[in-house]
Amino acid sequence: MKLRITLASSLFALAAAAVPATAEVSPLDLVQPIADYKIYVSENSEKLVTDTKAFTDAVKAGDLDKAKSLFGSTRMSYEAIEPIAELFSDLDGSIDSRADDHEKAEKDPEFTGFHRIEYGLFAENSTKDLEPFADKLMADVTELNKRITELTLPPEKVVGGAAVLMEEVAATKISGEEDRYSHTDLWDFKANFDGSRKIFDLVRPLIEKDDNAFVAKVSGNFDAVDATLSKYKTADGYQLYDKLTDDDRAVLAAKVNTLAEDLSTLRGKLGLN
Amino acid sequence: MTQSGGPASPSSQRWMKLAVVGSAGLVIAGGLAFYYASKGNRPDASADNIVVTIKDGTCTPNAITVPAGRSTFTIVNSSDRALEWEILDGVMVVEERENIVPGFSQTLQAKLKAGDYEITCGLLNSPRGTLHVTPSAEADAEAAKPALMAYLGPLAEFQVFLAMQANALVKGVQALDEAIKAGDIEKAREAYQKARAPYKQIEPMADLFADLHNAIDPVADYLEKREEDPGFTGFHRIEYGLYSANNLDGLAPVSARLLADVTALKDRLRGLRIPPEQIAKGAARLLSATAETTIIVGEEHYAKTDLADIEANLAGVSRMMALLKPVATPAAPQVVADIDSRMADADSALKALRGPDGYPPFDSVDAESRKSFAQRVQALAQAIGKLNAAVGLE
Repeated sequence: MKLRITLASSLFALAAAAVPATAEVSPLDLVQPIADYKIYVSENSEKLVTDTKAFTDAVKAGDLDKAKSLFGSTRMSYEAIEPIAELFSDLDGSIDSRADDHEKAEKDPEFTGFHRIEYGLFAENSTKDLEPFADKLMADVTELNKRITELTLPPEKVVGGAAVLMEEVAATKISGEEDRYSHTDLWDFKANFDGSRKIFDLVRPLIEKDDNAFVAKVSGNFDAVDATLSKYKTADGYQLYDKLTDDDRAVLAAKVNTLAEDLSTLRGKLGLN
Repeated sequence: MTQSGGPASPSSQRWMKLAVVGSAGLVIAGGLAFYYASKGNRPDASADNIVVTIKDGTCTPNAITVPAGRSTFTIVNSSDRALEWEILDGVMVVEERENIVPGFSQTLQAKLKAGDYEITCGLLNSPRGTLHVTPSAEADAEAAKPALMAYLGPLAEFQVFLAMQANALVKGVQALDEAIKAGDIEKAREAYQKARAPYKQIEPMADLFADLHNAIDPVADYLEKREEDPGFTGFHRIEYGLYSANNLDGLAPVSARLLADVTALKDRLRGLRIPPEQIAKGAARLLSATAETTIIVGEEHYAKTDLADIEANLAGVSRMMALLKPVATPAAPQVVADIDSRMADADSALKALRGPDGYPPFDSVDAESRKSFAQRVQALAQAIGKLNAAVGLE
């Protein structure tokens, strides 16, 4: 299934490339949306620093239950701004890489960050020996926040980010690979979804006047994904992802894919290809 | 985007027909491809499509050269695990493709500037390949006269800067207004000085909000009845009370009005369409006026805090120039270098006026020192004044 989805999203991207810029959007019209997005990114990266402090403090204090309970929510501000956060390849690797990105997988000394701590907390069920990873993660998110403040956002990465977020969910994250030890994947999906919708909402007025049908369609598809995600909401967050059936995942994947397909035309529509 | 294992589509059937018709041509093309392949050449720099095959943590080819501008890369995953491929400029990702499935390929388009980049080849610790981008006439021409789109990033970042300063301004004036209402003159003086800095950082854009500027920052010298003029409102009217009359009499309505005006300014700045040429134009104009008037006769007649104002003006201009620099440098390196060095001159001239307790009251700065400082600021204004023409914005 994973393969089929990859194929599909690639074909969508191909279709997107063939669509010419429709609306006459001046670069000056995009200034305010990009500026507003920078503020959104900054607010999230500041929240990431605050939340990571509480999370890593719990890890270092050996409070296993508290650390486990904070894992899903702490990641959300990172996942929401992933199109920008992952521009820093060194930090993205040390904050958010998976075991398979490393030669020796979980045992690789370069496997650090959220998922290394997740492995300790949820797979080994212990906070033992996690302190250096907690300190490193805290230092990395602090550095990320600093770099984001200084970064002039590349406009095409901002607008393209709406589709990239959804494509990544549909193509890889849907398998549950990201949070494989904690199964908190739905928290990530929700944050990816919010980040994608934020970008769409910011540029929406620029497209609305020329292509209202597109805006209505995408908006409807966002609502559909939101409704699907809401089904899995619990009192303190989201249902564990391993509790979802294959059918549940297939339904979610199909809806996210439809959304990704439409969003992949955003760059072209705004003259940013 | 090509998928080497993809199902036959109607368009690929059409390609088959074309292929039969053009088979003679294909034979020649195929022969050429074989010729290059058998010579083991790296993909030709002028080739439309660069094929990179990844296997066992190695890219083949591992060293690529392309001309600046748009290039297309086809990444073939011959390894046994899904991978991502990135073009890196230092630690920054320039372009990437995620989730390339084993046995499949993906295509990526990148618009690259001349320089040296790295490419990733599998796992995070796999040795990276190199991507050398050579200058091209087309890219050079584009850099020499940047398109409006090139300014989008800097202009957005400038909007963020303006929004942050405007927030600080509103907060500062709120504190000033509260201190005045509370009857605390010492606190009001402190709040006054603190609120000035964000306003002075925004001031290079004052031409875009002239009406508000006239209500927020008029100086008595330009009003018919000077301090008694009904048009004497805003910061300096409050300054007059705090530092000359030495009381808070009649200031409450003035600070209330100032708060309303800076709040209106904050709203106005949001959504203000600032054309890129306005940045250098506004900066040069303000600095020129600062050199010709402010530094000579002063503006903070009662508080004598002019040097702090000018420091904030220079900080605002410095931020503006830093934002334009990545776009302006390839187009006009000399002009940018000149601005940098004049900026450093003006900054050091200002710093030289600082005493152990910060800036001295402006009336204690003698005419000679003022003149020499004014010359540095005027030189900076002139250097910035050349920028727009040099990057094709005039």
